[in-house]
Amino acid sequence: MAKTIFLVDDSATILLSVSSILGKAGFAVEKASNADEALKKFKAGVKVDLLITDLNMPGMNGIELIKQVRTLPAYKFLPILFLTTESQQSRKAEAKAAGASGWIVKPATADDLLNTIKLVIR
Amino acid sequence: MDELTSTFVNESRDQLTAMEDGLLKLEQNPDDADNLGAIFRAAHTIKGGSGVVECHFIEAFTHKVENVLDKLRNGEIPVSGELSTVMLECCDHLGALLDVFAAGLPRPDDTVQTRGDALLARLTELFLGGGAVRSTGNRDGMLAAEDDNSIEASGGGVVDTDAWHISVRFGPGVLRNGMDPLSLLHYLTSLGEITTLTTLADALPTAEKMDPECCYLGFEIGFQTRASKAQIEQVFDFVRDECTLYILPPNSRIGEYLKLIDELPEDNMRLGEILVRSGALTQAELDDGLSAQSRAPVREAAGEAAAPPPLGDVLVEQKVVHKEVVEAAATRQAVVSEKKALEARVIRVHADKLDQLIDLVGEMVIAGAGANLLAQRSGQSDLIESTSVLLRLVEDIRDSALQLRMVQIGETFNRFNRVVRDSSREMGKAIDLVITGAETELDKSVVEKLGDPLMHLVRNAIDHGIEAPALRAARGKPENGTVQLNAYHDSGNIVIEVIDDGGGLPRDKIRQKAIDKGLIDAAATLSEHEISNLIFEAGFSTAEKVTNLSGRGVGMDVVRRNIQSLRGSVEVDTIEGEGSTFTIRLPLTLAIIDGFLTSVGKASYVVPLDSVVECIELADASAKRNYLNLRGEVLPFVRLRELFAIGGEVPKRQNVVIIQYAGKKAGLVVDTLLGEFQTVIKPLGALFKHLRGIGGSTILGTGEVALILDVPALVGLVTSLEDRRLTAPRQPELLASY
Repeated sequence: MAKTIFLVDDSATILLSVSSILGKAGFAVEKASNADEALKKFKAGVKVDLLITDLNMPGMNGIELIKQVRTLPAYKFLPILFLTTESQQSRKAEAKAAGASGWIVKPATADDLLNTIKLVIR
Repeated sequence: MDELTSTFVNESRDQLTAMEDGLLKLEQNPDDADNLGAIFRAAHTIKGGSGVVECHFIEAFTHKVENVLDKLRNGEIPVSGELSTVMLECCDHLGALLDVFAAGLPRPDDTVQTRGDALLARLTELFLGGGAVRSTGNRDGMLAAEDDNSIEASGGGVVDTDAWHISVRFGPGVLRNGMDPLSLLHYLTSLGEITTLTTLADALPTAEKMDPECCYLGFEIGFQTRASKAQIEQVFDFVRDECTLYILPPNSRIGEYLKLIDELPEDNMRLGEILVRSGALTQAELDDGLSAQSRAPVREAAGEAAAPPPLGDVLVEQKVVHKEVVEAAATRQAVVSEKKALEARVIRVHADKLDQLIDLVGEMVIAGAGANLLAQRSGQSDLIESTSVLLRLVEDIRDSALQLRMVQIGETFNRFNRVVRDSSREMGKAIDLVITGAETELDKSVVEKLGDPLMHLVRNAIDHGIEAPALRAARGKPENGTVQLNAYHDSGNIVIEVIDDGGGLPRDKIRQKAIDKGLIDAAATLSEHEISNLIFEAGFSTAEKVTNLSGRGVGMDVVRRNIQSLRGSVEVDTIEGEGSTFTIRLPLTLAIIDGFLTSVGKASYVVPLDSVVECIELADASAKRNYLNLRGEVLPFVRLRELFAIGGEVPKRQNVVIIQYAGKKAGLVVDTLLGEFQTVIKPLGALFKHLRGIGGSTILGTGEVALILDVPALVGLVTSLEDRRLTAPRQPELLASY
């Protein structure tokens, strides 16, 4: 069965491009353009195998989202990747402490992206 | 343009606007961390997007901008006027770059490129100097020191194996962070071949002490690959900080293996055996090494003193948080949740869908009126009652539907913050922009077309209106000039005022110029108001000196034409030396009006209900004069029968519909009054464009066409006829010639 990846980013460009890459690679993609919307879906028990979220979003930020998702029993062991850039190294530690599994450095090539995903889900 | 490109371009334009707004706010409120964050995020999103669509010239430019914003956000550089100016220019440049990208060009042309380079050079020089170079220097130094250490510690001799040796002990928290060690090992196999693998469960506590959510495992891996050490390390990047990881390249020195054995928590002999089994070491090498090392003193004790303070201490320290910090965090949270709530209440809908809905509602209004008419004719009271209920509902639906298209004018007004700021700097004048009535709503289609005329008026106010600072001082005015944008509703119209406290319009000059240009006769007597409003005539411009701002070949006549095309009007009131007020009046909506149906002969005319004041009977229908006495007031009127040259018998009883527009009253003489009538405006065809006095047409319930009267034009006509009659009483034929 195809693995489902939940993608959260406030940038429509990123949502569109990443989901098309994931789609071509055979993943099912669930999308949300902000953390509140995403959290709502998590609370409703959405079935996903991986969460990829941006950190910098208006409203609830990515780190808070990761923290919240981790508190939900169903997602205790869910792999979570966050999108970050070279200039935001300091936030990596913060996101990791919040419960993230790893990160994807933007801008990433399709190969980078898929390789990183392979690291956390089989 | 493909979907991704257009998404990127649209999104980036939105972000640019947000960034610009943020920067303008920043000037007033330099310490607003949320605002700074929002500006940074906007730039960041553009950069991210440009990377995705592979638009490298935007990416490179935004990268620099983002660097500066990052420094700003971290408080490394202060907010300054210079910074906002450069940043705003960067926004403009980004807009230009987006245009280039949207046009599908591979790179910007030389002018744009040069401007971009110049901006980047300024950014670097002003805000990015020094820092970066120093930090790289430091890092190099640290690396060098590390290398020295490893060389010193390593033993002699080289181990002859072509496999890498990876020792990894996963931290207890990896599972809870969603990392599955198995998927990492899985991934390793995509880089090369795992030749040997030993699982170490030594850290596993007894069953009652074991936490099933923790990871206690370690692995010793022999790994054959062409990948570099960095690539292998990267596999463990995500678990690096909570893992013990050692990667030994093929053909490492024996000493390195021994060091590894020593440093890992498991029993030395056991690890040694594993290494021997994996072929990394021979038994002899191991024995030699271990015995040699046990003789050497352990040097680690000294190093421990310098180790970082335990986390507990840090936490205790962190608990000492000042009250203000907590309060600040709480307010910030409140603001955020408010904003979230607001976002949740707004739905973005494509404007086309709304237009379609309005169209349908318009048709429904016409159909409803038709049904109502039939019901009235049938005389069945039940039917009349039910259709009137229906009609009332249709009316409500119409109002709600129109409400959907209403937008606040504030957004349009806010654009002028930037205009005023930039152009006042350019002109060397200090000007404040005051916005009032920003929450006033009007139809979106009107707002869109209002931008250009408003821009022109504001620029004019800055350029010609507000005096130079020296002159202001001489006139005893405050140093800062004020331009005010004001909006309010006034009987079915929206009124927008552009007010400046500048020099006002020089009436003598205007009059002289109008005479020079042949717009008016030298002998003509004109009221002050009329003279001021001559500036809206075609081909009029009083600017003595053409500046960058105005004098672009677009005159006030274009402003008037634009406004008139929206069924509105524009006027100016001015007091020399004290300032001018430009008043724009516009209908609230262009689509549907409440009308008052009248008829002359067999033709039907609709007067917009908003402008109808009252209706009276024309007392003395036979009198030749064109004014009547309305409760002691002189009311000029016009006979529609004459104006539109309608033939047929003049009925005995005629009625006067008294209309009002912009403070002036006039009468329209019609045959019969048919009452209130809700209607959809259908524009007249191009053929009838030159017709004055008629604003559009509509279809009656019976299928007949009724013409909608253009009240502003009619009032203007009637009052000017009246004025002229007063100044030149012997010209009674004017009406006929119209």
